[in-house]
Amino acid sequence: MLRLTYVYRNLTRNTRRSVMTSAAVALPIVIFVLSTAVIDGITRFLDNSARQLRLAITQKTSIVNPLPEGHRRKIESLDPTGTRILAVCGLRWIGGQRENDPMPLSTLGVDHDTFVEAFPEHRLDREEIDAWQRDKQALMVGRNTATQLGWKVGQRVTIMPSVPPYTPIEFHIISTMEKAEDVVTLWFRRDYFEEILKGEGKEYPEGLVSFYFVKCGSKADMDHFRQEIDRMFAGTLDETKTSDEKTFMNEFITQQFDLPRNLTILSAMTVFVAVIAAMNAMSMNVRDRISEIATLKALGFSGLFALALILAESLLICGLGGLAGSLGPYIAFTYTPLRKINIPVIQTFEIPFAMCIKSVLVALGIGLLAGAWPSWLALRMKVVAALRNLE
Amino acid sequence: MALPLSYNWRNLLIRRTTTVLTVLVIAVVVGVFSWMLGFRGALSRSLSVAGDPRTLIVLRQASTSETNSAIPPDDYNKLTQLNEEIAVDDQTGDQLKSPEMIVQVSLPRTRDLGATNANVAVRGVTNSAFAVHRNVKLLGAKPADGAMEVIVGVQAAKQFAGLAIGDTINLGYGGNRGYRVVGYFSADGGPLESEIWGPATMLMNAYMRNAYSSVALRLKDNVDPAAAIRRIEGPGIELTARTESEYWQEQTKNIGMYLMIVTFLVGVMCIAAAFSIANTMFASVAGRSREFAMLRTIGFTGRHLLTSVMIESLLLCFLGGAIGCLACGAWLALVGNTKDMFGQSTFTTLAFEIHLTPLIVGIAIGAICLVGLGGAIVPARRAARTQVVTALREA
Repeated sequence: MLRLTYVYRNLTRNTRRSVMTSAAVALPIVIFVLSTAVIDGITRFLDNSARQLRLAITQKTSIVNPLPEGHRRKIESLDPTGTRILAVCGLRWIGGQRENDPMPLSTLGVDHDTFVEAFPEHRLDREEIDAWQRDKQALMVGRNTATQLGWKVGQRVTIMPSVPPYTPIEFHIISTMEKAEDVVTLWFRRDYFEEILKGEGKEYPEGLVSFYFVKCGSKADMDHFRQEIDRMFAGTLDETKTSDEKTFMNEFITQQFDLPRNLTILSAMTVFVAVIAAMNAMSMNVRDRISEIATLKALGFSGLFALALILAESLLICGLGGLAGSLGPYIAFTYTPLRKINIPVIQTFEIPFAMCIKSVLVALGIGLLAGAWPSWLALRMKVVAALRNLE
Repeated sequence: MALPLSYNWRNLLIRRTTTVLTVLVIAVVVGVFSWMLGFRGALSRSLSVAGDPRTLIVLRQASTSETNSAIPPDDYNKLTQLNEEIAVDDQTGDQLKSPEMIVQVSLPRTRDLGATNANVAVRGVTNSAFAVHRNVKLLGAKPADGAMEVIVGVQAAKQFAGLAIGDTINLGYGGNRGYRVVGYFSADGGPLESEIWGPATMLMNAYMRNAYSSVALRLKDNVDPAAAIRRIEGPGIELTARTESEYWQEQTKNIGMYLMIVTFLVGVMCIAAAFSIANTMFASVAGRSREFAMLRTIGFTGRHLLTSVMIESLLLCFLGGAIGCLACGAWLALVGNTKDMFGQSTFTTLAFEIHLTPLIVGIAIGAICLVGLGGAIVPARRAARTQVVTALREA
């Protein structure tokens, strides 16, 4: 008890320094928490992709070149039993925006008959599936996009596609995908889009898809068909490049800003800054208290006692900083409007409570490192020499 | 007379541990900050040199980039109406408008020895492209008429494999037509340097395209770009256009957002550094009250002491800043200064090089000096307010 009181007194002897040191730890911890949350979000997103047992197929020469819709039947024919290839879904990107609104939309036309099976993570209920199958103009909107645009189920909306035919397309919103993990994308039926292209009477290319996603029965099936599909189209005009969905998505993410790598470097740097800043403060504390530590030792307190005192102080300062640095972002992104923020790729930004605990542990690690050298000096301090130096 | 600089320097040397640790904190912050400035600078430079206000990029209405724009020849011909707006070639008398087609090819990056691929833009152009894009300069041969030859932007040649002169790259819809690289071109460091250029007609044929992606056109000197854009978007033509700089800014919006996040995080790091500097300076001031009292006694004023403490902080920042910039330079030399970014709308890669220019070093050190001044102001004022009698009595 006495020792705890002593640690507390030490902490409040130079309140300004303690507070500023805590702040110098708290701010890097804020960066650490935010960076780790983004990296975790990306990892979660990629792990989810890996769990889906899906292959992504693009045109071999470039992701931008489309593939013919006829590929679907050929891919399906690789598994006549339908037990290893569960669904093949073609996707056509049309981007788009609302009329007189520059905000870009992420709109994809999909094969409506296989979409539900290929993307079960959207967790559509029976009514939504029925409406999707029934209504050719059906549009499902990610809930965050729906909220942002003020769109409701049952509403008719018009989207200007960013690709031919570049004319307004009318849709009926049948779902705002309340249970889906994807909260941004807009999904519609590709057959409706093909009908529009035909109706235009111009020579727009028809029957094309941007990517195929193939839902497989098992990991072994994925490995098998990844090679089989490319082999089947090798040497044709429409050669394919097949990869598992995680690899496909990861390539896309790393091409953007290589966020996972850059944020990892940044958070490592910030933790280093925190360690040095705290170490600096702790060495100043020890220097200010040389006579006191020497006196304690002269009175019979062991060197380990001095070491424990300094380490405890360092742990407490950094732990408090860690607590403030992790709880701040946690509260901001859990209980304020910031929780609705959209981050590209990972979409929803989430700071789990477990991450706060992890960050506090990191802060305690910072405290341990920061206090190690000053407390070692205290442990090794020669009483006579220390007292003589002060004279 | 002010306190000599050597006095400040020696004070820092006396408190070696604190000085070294504070300098380290500053060095890390400045290192990250200067890297970020270098990145931002490289990107801005790349985009700003593309910003020729007299060049317009014409696209199909509702398309967001050249990648998803399609302008059929009939629509292209409508641009001929813009006699009053489009500049004319002095020698041929032709309108300076360049119909272009954009496709992509996936090429391995050189910086990771081909472990990853980048989506590189292939632009089909005609001779008029060189008259419209005035910053494009040929460095070597030009593709011969009717030959399957291409030229490569200098950044693309550096950063993507298989683009040396004499190499053959597979282009075309099925990637089955070999095009020989016959020369390089520069574009003042602009985004076009990340591209591969070849003859439009042959590439359109190879990619089975019957429409252009965009038209770049050069305006006459006295024409207002906004008015020209209004005409292009009007009922007579029904296309859309942006100035070249607007276009490239739009295409890299996603990159801007990432930079904003990193800037915010580096800002937070700077505040943490300010606390660390303040801690150091408070400790330095607190331990020298007798010294300050003596200085006051022999005639130095409070202002002298304030300046002296501020100078000490600046010395720390300058030293840390210099080490940080050197470390950043070493990092770039070691890991490589080439970077590329993916434009979200273009689906193509913009390649550029990060350079630590004197301006960046100056800004980084200047900024940390400001942070240092901020951190030192309170302890410096405390030093300036030292009460001679009290301080001497306490001592």
